[in-house]
This record gives sequence, C-alpha cells and structure tokens, in this order.
Amino acid sequence: MNDHAVLMENVTRTYGKGATEVAALRQVSVAFPRGGFTAVMGPSGSGKSTLLQCASGLDRPDSGTVRVAGQDITRLGEKELAVLRRDRVGVIFQSFNLVASLTAWQNVILPSRLARRRPDPRRVREVLHRVGLAGREGHRPAQLSGGQQQRVAVARALLDRPEVLFADEPTGALDRRAGREVLALLREAADAFGQTVVMVTHDPEAAALADRVLFLVDGRIADVLERPAAERIALRLGGLR
Amino acid sequence: MTLVLAWNNVRANRTSFAASFAAVLLAVTLVAGSGLVVVGAGARDELNGVMGLLVLSAAVSAFVSIFTVAGLLSLHVLRQRRTWALLRSVGMTPRQVSRLITAEAMVVSVTASLAGCALAVPYATLMAALVRLAGLAPAGVPVQVTPAPFVVALVVGPAVTLLAARAAARKAAGVGPLEVLRESAAQRRSLPWPRAVVGAAALAGGIALLSLVPRVEAKSAVPAGLGATMALCVAASALGPVALSVIGRLLGAVVTRLDPGSGTPAMASLVTQPRRAMSAASPVMLTVALGCTFLFAVATGDAAAGVARTGAAAWVAPLLVGSAMIHTVISVLNATAMTMSERAGEIRLLRTLGAAPRQLTRAVCYETLIVTGAGALLGTAIAAASLTALGTALTGRPWFAYSLPQYAGLVLVCAASGLAAGLAATRRARRGSLLPDR
Repeated sequence: MNDHAVLMENVTRTYGKGATEVAALRQVSVAFPRGGFTAVMGPSGSGKSTLLQCASGLDRPDSGTVRVAGQDITRLGEKELAVLRRDRVGVIFQSFNLVASLTAWQNVILPSRLARRRPDPRRVREVLHRVGLAGREGHRPAQLSGGQQQRVAVARALLDRPEVLFADEPTGALDRRAGREVLALLREAADAFGQTVVMVTHDPEAAALADRVLFLVDGRIADVLERPAAERIALRLGGLR
Repeated sequence: MTLVLAWNNVRANRTSFAASFAAVLLAVTLVAGSGLVVVGAGARDELNGVMGLLVLSAAVSAFVSIFTVAGLLSLHVLRQRRTWALLRSVGMTPRQVSRLITAEAMVVSVTASLAGCALAVPYATLMAALVRLAGLAPAGVPVQVTPAPFVVALVVGPAVTLLAARAAARKAAGVGPLEVLRESAAQRRSLPWPRAVVGAAALAGGIALLSLVPRVEAKSAVPAGLGATMALCVAASALGPVALSVIGRLLGAVVTRLDPGSGTPAMASLVTQPRRAMSAASPVMLTVALGCTFLFAVATGDAAAGVARTGAAAWVAPLLVGSAMIHTVISVLNATAMTMSERAGEIRLLRTLGAAPRQLTRAVCYETLIVTGAGALLGTAIAAASLTALGTALTGRPWFAYSLPQYAGLVLVCAASGLAAGLAATRRARRGSLLPDR
C-alpha cells in the first residue's frame, strides 16, 4: 500500500502560547518516497528543522498524522518511540551528537546495545571502513576532527540499515571537503541500499545532490523542484527571501 | 560590568547557587549552634561529663561544614568551565574572571552566613532539649545568646568560602579561551600535582595519627581517632579519583555484562570523568567514615569502661552525630543532583538514539549506586582503620564495638538520597520534551 517511507498529513506544530506563539508548521502534507533522497530548504525560521523533528518522532505535532513505514507515530508512547528510533530511523545532527565518553566504535554500536543486540564486529568494521574511519575505532570524539566525528555519526546511523535517515544540516559545521564526503555517504545510502534520506540544509550545492528539493516558507511548502541544479536552487531560494 | 555579569550568572545557574547557599547556611547554623550549646554547657560544672561529647560533635560539624562547602564550590566552578572559557574568548582577562568568581561566592556566602546565624538559636535550643530528653543533663543546657559562637561562625563561613573560591577561581582563570570548543568530557588528568601533594600529605598525617592512637592516654584516644578519620577522608577525596576509576571499571564491567543497554553509558562516564564522580562520592564517604567512627568509638569506649547505656541515653551519640550527618546527607543530595543534571544533554542524546525511558532510569540508578557504593566502601575502610587503632588504645586488643543496624542505616540513607537526587535531577531530560530549548 505504501511506497512512501514517511507520510505527513496536515501536520501543524506551534511553539509558545499567546503573544509569543509561533506556528512552525501549518497544515503541511508531504510524502517522502522510499529510497529517495529529499532535501528540505528554506529561510531560517521557515520550519524546516521542525518538519524533520516531527517526521522523525523527536517532536510531536499538535495535529495531523505522521506515518513512518506505515505506522502512525503520533500515537506512540515513549517506549514505542524509543524502539522506532533505534530500529527504523537514523538521525544525523549538525552538532554530531556523539556520546563524549564513548569511543568511535562504542558510539557506532550504541543503538544496537540499547536494543540488547550484539552487532557483528565484521559489520561494524565494514561500516567504519566505508565512512573512512578504519584505524580510528578506539578514538574518543575529542580526539577526532569535525569531519571524522560526523562520519562516526553517519556510521552509527548506517549500521543497522534503518529505513529512513534524517539529517539536520549534516554539513553545517564542516568544511567543504568533509561536507562533500558526508553527502556522498548519504547519497550512497539511498542509491546502494535503498534507504530513504531526508536532509535539511541551507546549502544549494548540498541540496543539488538530492532527487527532490522542498522549499518551506513560514511553515508551508512553497515549492518542489525535481533534480534541480545548484544554480536553480540558489535562484529559487533567493526568490523566497 | 562585572556586577551585571555576576548577577546574570547567578540567575542562569539558580540550582547550583541554591546548593552552595544551602551548604553555607547549614554549615553556619551547625557551627554557631553547636558553639552555643558548648558555651551553655561550659557555664555549668555538673555538665562536665557531656562536655567532651558536645565538643567532639561540634568539631565533627565544623569539619563536615568546611569539607562540604569547599567541595560544593569547586564542583560549582568545574560545572561552569565553559562559561569562563567563553568570557575569556570575548576578551575577559584571567584576573577579571577570578574576581567575578570570588565576588559571586562571597555574595552567596555572606547572605547565607547571616541567615545561618538566625537559625543557629533555634537549632541550639533543639539540641539542648535533646540532650535533656536523653537524660544526660536533667536540668537542661542553658542556651544563652552570646556573641562568641556567632563571631566564629561568621568568620569561618565566609573565610572558608573565600579560600575555596580563590582556589577554584585560580583553576578557572587558567581555563583557556579554546576550551569553549573542546568537549568537556575529556578531562585531562585525574590527578594534577597539587592534588597529589595534598592527598599524600593528608595520607601521611592520617597514618601518623593512626599509629599514635594506641599510644596516647585513653582520654585523648577518641579525639585522635576522629582526627585520623578526618585526615584520611581528606586524603581519600584528593586521591579518590584514581581509586574511583578502578572501582568504577570493576563494578561497571559487571553491570555492562548484565545490562548492556543501560550499563554502557553509566560506566563510560565513570571511567572518563572520575573527578566528577568523586565529588558525588566524597560526601557519602564522609558520612560513613565520620558517622561510624563517632558512633562506634563511643560504643567501644563504653564497652571498655563497662558502661552499658540503655533507654534514652543510648540515643545520645546517634542524635549528636545525626545532626552533622543531616548536613552530609544534604551534600550527597546536592552533589548527586549537580553531577547528574549535567547529564541532561547526554540523556536526551541517548533518547534520540532509541533508549527507552526505563533503560535511562536504570542507567541513572547504576551510575548513582556505583558512585555511592564506592564512597561507602572508602568510608568503611577509613572508619575500620581508625576504630581498630582506637580499640587497641582502649581495650588493648585490635577490636571495636559496632552495630550493624546503625551501619546499614547510614549506608542506606546515603544510597537512598543519592538515588532520589539522581532521578529527580534527570527527570526532565528522561521524560520531558526531547528538544531542550522549547
């Protein structure tokens, strides 16, 4: 019934009350096709991060439904959400979000450990090798560069091959080269492993790697471009501001 | 400018300052209150018998106060490392940072000391009533409001705070602007040399006192034994991070094997941050070490003298030590709450990775219990050493009287307050919204 990995219908999310009320999402309906790579763009405050948080179950919408792999996640309790996060989705943040006291290897297998699984060491080594971190398994985050830390986060999100990968400004804190490497890994996840990728970004070049670019303005979807080039994205983005 | 910063800093770190305020307040209340009781008892000749006990408990109170206030303040400064580094990175000089920290500490300390003096009178009245109820002083201890105890408390409270703040400020002023960028978890050394020197000196002093105890006359054996315990406590809390990372590794390995999901994060933070863990274990160690030494020293002395206290009289020692122990229990609460509230970010991160609420609750419990257990272990070892020396002095044999229920009570109170504080401090991170700023 669904070739959509994530389906959002009439999602509204409002922060604050009274005079300070801000509508981050207004009646947003959007579908992310299975195996597709979608970039979400928009000026700051347009609601793009909120969209990602609601889609990934990190935040609850005030109204509307969010389906991940056919399951309505807005009705799930904390426990079921935890299972969803560790098994079905992987999240990558701008600020890496690694546990500072754990080594690269331990960080990568953490979600499996939370699920009481003992991951195959060969698989862990393979994933760390794929993201270019072979030989760095025993390093703690403080001993790694920003690009390497983000690649640990990507390896963590890739390990169990979750159906959906959410990335919130994954290249925001990286230089161009490190950023491109991370983006290539996300592209590969979609192409080679059929994973669905949803990425929030403000960088037209990063968005140009996606199959589809959504533009958000004031909590509404303003436009959708299919396989656009970076110049066209930059132009469109300039028109929104 | 410094004032504006100081004020905003206090507002932004309310819990931390409230904890420091409470510690100083209690310290001054205890010191001034015990002083009032001692002065009152000194006015009557027939109270000479209880005098020793009262003076001892006052000394224990003073030691506990100094220890906890100093510990809490340095924890407070440790917590704010990033703030200091940030201020340095926008151009504040180390001197200005150091002045800012001292100013903040002094404001808290002076207001807390004044409030503590006001509470000292009711506290002294209560203690006097307890001593009378226990049948130690049938006529009661007259509590007169004399200036001396207040002056002592008002000097000691702010002076200790000033010293602790200066030491902490020196550390903070040494924080380079670059530390803003560094992840705080990678503490560089768990045993910098000034700490090692203090620890070694205290350890030597403690061992010297221990060997002295069997040789002094019976009357001074108990104070000497308590002195040894205090010195060993200082040594243990200075050298403790090393011991703690070893104990943490051992206990953590067991827990991680049994419950990998919750054990992994609990153990990792103990092993990489032994100093932070030690600041939570210290008050537990202090409670167990001092409580056991005081209680069982009195019991051993009674047994050696052939005195059997029954009824209300049997409760005098526990009550006297109890009031000082309230202080250490509060600092167990404080220190655990402060160290665990630091973990909010990490707990939220674990949730985004799929940690279930129960797993997080267990992780917090494991970590708190390992820390409390390590503190209790150290405290028991210290008390056992002092009591053995004391027993040799009083009875000629390496033996001492003890009460299992009283011991278990002390340890359980510490564990329960640690758990309550740890769970309460992380509740919002474990159950609330995942997005912290909204």
